[in-house]
Amino acid sequence: MIFENTGFYFREALLSFRRSALMSMAAILSTTTILLIVGIFLLISVNLNLFLENLESQLEIVVYLEDDISQAEINNLKSNITSIDETKEVKFVSKEEAYQNLLKNLGEQKDILSAIEVNPLPASFEIQVKDPKMIEQIANQITKFKKVEEVEYGRETAERLLNFTYIFRRAGILVLTLLVFASILIISNIIKITVYARRNEIEIMSLVGATAWFVKWPFIIEGFLQGFISSVLSTIILYNFYFFAVNKVHQAIPFLPLVVDNVDLLPMGIAIVLLGSFVGILGSMFSVGKYLNV
Amino acid sequence: MIRMFHVYKNYPNKIQALRDINIHIKKGEFIFLVGPTGAGKSTFLKLIYRGIVPSKGQVIVDGINIARLKTGYIPYLRRNIGIVFQDFKLLYDRTVYENISFGLKAIGATNFEIRQQVKKVLNLVGLENKRKTKPHLLSGGEQQKLCIARAIANEPLILLTDEPTGNLDPYTSWEIMKLLFHINIRGTTIIMASHDKLMIDKAKKRVVRLERGRIMEDTERGTY
Repeated sequence: MIFENTGFYFREALLSFRRSALMSMAAILSTTTILLIVGIFLLISVNLNLFLENLESQLEIVVYLEDDISQAEINNLKSNITSIDETKEVKFVSKEEAYQNLLKNLGEQKDILSAIEVNPLPASFEIQVKDPKMIEQIANQITKFKKVEEVEYGRETAERLLNFTYIFRRAGILVLTLLVFASILIISNIIKITVYARRNEIEIMSLVGATAWFVKWPFIIEGFLQGFISSVLSTIILYNFYFFAVNKVHQAIPFLPLVVDNVDLLPMGIAIVLLGSFVGILGSMFSVGKYLNV
Repeated sequence: MIRMFHVYKNYPNKIQALRDINIHIKKGEFIFLVGPTGAGKSTFLKLIYRGIVPSKGQVIVDGINIARLKTGYIPYLRRNIGIVFQDFKLLYDRTVYENISFGLKAIGATNFEIRQQVKKVLNLVGLENKRKTKPHLLSGGEQQKLCIARAIANEPLILLTDEPTGNLDPYTSWEIMKLLFHINIRGTTIIMASHDKLMIDKAKKRVVRLERGRIMEDTERGTY
C-alpha cells in the first residue's frame, strides 16, 4: 500500500503545500526561528566547552627529583611515568634548563642569582594528563616512585577549576535539554495548527473508508518537508552568521580559541536537520491521529 | 441489512441519546428517520457507520457487529456505507471531479476505475458539466448533489443522509428526493433523517419516529 501509492502521497503532500502556501510559509518561518535559537545555543555551548577544555589542559603535574638521581634512574622514572595510561605528555626539565628558565623569567632582575654559587633548582618532569579529573590520583601514584622529592599540581586551583567547569557543563546540558524539549513542543504545535486547518479533509477521508495510514502518509511527508526545509534554512543562516561572527571576534581578540573546524560544526548541522525532520514527521503523525477517530 | 437489539447510547455528560432501540432494516429499504432536534437521529446514524459505539446492546451492519469491530477494520465497514451530511463536508479547494475522485483514491481504486465511476455518478446527479468547477461556485442543491455523488461513487450498500433537503427550496428538495429514490431502486438501502413533512408525506415510505431517544412509531408508508 505504501509503495503502491507513494507517488500519490507525494503529489498530495506537495499539492497541499501549494494550496495552503501562506500557512506552510508561516510554519516554515516559525520553525526556522526556533531551530535558529537552538543552533545559536549549540554554537555557544561548543565554544564554551572548547574554552573549558583549554583551561583544563593548562593543569599539569610537576615532579621534582632528588639531586643525586642518575641518568639511568631518570630514564627509568620517565618510562614508569609514561606507562601510566592517563598521562599525555611527559617532559623532562634538567637542573640546567630549570636555571635557564628562571633566568629568562627574571629578565632584568637576573642579577639576584649571582649571589648563589650552586644551582639550587631540582630537575623535574612536567606532566600533562589526558583527563584533568584524574590529576590527583596520578600525582599520588607518582609520589610513590623512588627518587621523587616532591609532586606538585596546584591542588586547590585544580579542584576549584574542575568544580567550575563541572557546574558550567551541567548547566549547559540542562539548558540545552530544556531548549530542545521546548523546540519540540513548539514545532509540533505549529504542525498541529496546519493539520487542524485541514481537519475536514481528514474527517471526510476517514468517513469514505480510507485507512489510517492512507490519510497519514501525505501529512507525514508534508511535516517532514516542513521540518526539513526549516532546518536546512536555519543551518545555512547559522553557518553564515557564525563565520561572520568568528571573524569579527578574532579581529578583536586574536587568540581566543573558537571552534572553526567544519568537522566539529558538521555534526551540529546534522543534529539540527535531524531534529527538524523528526519533529516534523512525528508531530504530523500524532496530530492527524487526533482527527482520525470520527 | 441493519439490526439493532436493545441499543442504548449515553454520552459522557449523562445525556441518554438513545434508549432501548430495536429495529430491523432490510436490504433495499427506504427509511425516513423523523423526530424533533435532539431526539437521537444523528446518534442513530453515527452508530451505523461506527462513528460511535453503543453503550449497551448490539448493532449489526451487514453481518458485522460494530461494537466488536477492531479499529483497523472500520475503514472497510465504511466502504459499504455512503454518508451525506447536512453541512455537505465538501473540500472547497478542490474541483467537483476531485471531490469525488479523492474518496475513490482513498479506498484504492485505480485511475481507470476512478475516471469511469466519477463520470457515471456525475451523469446520475446531473453535474457532468460542472466537473471542473469548485464547490463554492455551485448552488446549494448542486452542492448537495455533489455530496450524494461522492457518497454513492463506490456503490455502497447503505446510504445515510442527514437532512439532505434541510436548506433547500421545495423544488430542489424534490429533485434531490427523486435522485435518492432512483438510487434506492438500484438496490441501495437508504436511511434519511429529515424534518421535511411535505416530502415525507408525499413519499409514502417507512417512517421511524424518534423522541427523546426512543422509537415512538415505526410505520410502513407512514407520514410525518
